[in-house]
Amino acid sequence: MKNKIKINSLFILYLLVILSSCSKKSFPSAEVNFLSNKEGTICMKAIGIGLNQEDAIIDAEKNAFNVIFFRGLPQSEQKTPLIGTNETEEILKHKDYFDKFYKGKRYKTFIMSSFPTSNLVKRKGGEKNIAINVTINLVALRTDLEQNNIIRKFGY
Amino acid sequence: MKIQLYILALMLSQVSLIDSTYCQNSATNSGGQIVTVQPKIMVIPYTKEGEDLRTVLENDENKRIAITKIKEGFDKRGFTTVDFVAKLKAAKDNNVFTSDNQTDIKSQIIQMSGADIYVQAEVIVEKGQSGNSVKLILTAYEASTGNSLSNKVGESGKFYTDDFNKLASKAVESCVEDFLNVMQTKFTDIVNNGKSVIIDISFSTDSKYKMSSEIGSDALPLSDQVEMWMEKNSFKNSYHIQGTTDLKMILDDVKIPLKDQATGNNYNPNKFALELFKFFKGLGLQPGKDVKGSTIYITIK
Repeated sequence: MKNKIKINSLFILYLLVILSSCSKKSFPSAEVNFLSNKEGTICMKAIGIGLNQEDAIIDAEKNAFNVIFFRGLPQSEQKTPLIGTNETEEILKHKDYFDKFYKGKRYKTFIMSSFPTSNLVKRKGGEKNIAINVTINLVALRTDLEQNNIIRKFGY
Repeated sequence: MKIQLYILALMLSQVSLIDSTYCQNSATNSGGQIVTVQPKIMVIPYTKEGEDLRTVLENDENKRIAITKIKEGFDKRGFTTVDFVAKLKAAKDNNVFTSDNQTDIKSQIIQMSGADIYVQAEVIVEKGQSGNSVKLILTAYEASTGNSLSNKVGESGKFYTDDFNKLASKAVESCVEDFLNVMQTKFTDIVNNGKSVIIDISFSTDSKYKMSSEIGSDALPLSDQVEMWMEKNSFKNSYHIQGTTDLKMILDDVKIPLKDQATGNNYNPNKFALELFKFFKGLGLQPGKDVKGSTIYITIK
């Protein structure tokens, strides 16, 4: 009887380990590339994934913002990340702001233009991806981050 | 009894006097709000040896355009810079210049302006058969320590035009945002790890002390006493000793916080100098202190 309980509990433990390893999310690759800079705006080519075109475009736009916030874009005037490289910590620290920004779709107000540059392409697992050209109002975005105390104003 | 009451009243009045000495008056009371003191930044033109700084700007409109565009970059970030031309004029009016040496004049303007950081802009005009261009070298330094804060080279690209004003403008636009972003990264480092001050400790000519003098209750050499104090009092234990001789000790990079860690008020080199002054007094010495920008001079009598 005792042995049976032991075997059962070991089996449950094994299942838990397997399930927890399956639930680990890998970081999505941010396929965002710089296109041009002009008078406080930044134009990027971003790739997004989704079940349909709308979802894929939203994902691409969010990828573009995340790269500006947490990675910076080589060749552009925003080579350094606007917020910082530790995205998990920063998003947790300013949860309300990022909830409104992404879930409340506030990020749309900083987009000057966004249009697909490729067709919807099928991927494995029923998902599809799309490439878009997105232009972001960088000056307004920086000011918004400053006013909401996400980043410091220029200076100390 | 009457005398006792009188003494008590006198003591109470003294206490209230002490309180009122450091009390904030109602006209300036902000209700506990603290605004971080910002560094003063001045944009100046680069000058070659022998060039007159006073006429460089007047004779070269490309330099004036480049400097204005750089200042515009700071303005866009909501930061006000110290105007170089206005300071130059004020310096002339006040007869600040005491030497004909141009390098000295540059240092004198920087010192007189009270600028913590200066941004130097070098404008290079290039003319060629395949087009004309303007190159710009931008460098930002901390005035007192010489620590470099940002360095960028901007280029206008080659164009078949003689409009060098436009080319200078393009050269600035190509690099100013990146330049400011790097500066802001360095500012973040200063906010997190403290700003640098230089401490120069020396002795007056008639002083009986030397750096090797054994003083204090533990009779340790003065230089070691200083180092032990720095170890405890520099921000995040960050200090660098440039060198120690028997007559002098220079600490070329001692970090102090921007904010008083206990009260949250602004902290500055003067307050740190006072702590250092108290330390020397505590050792039974007679120190004198001077603070110029971010440099603290201690002279032991």
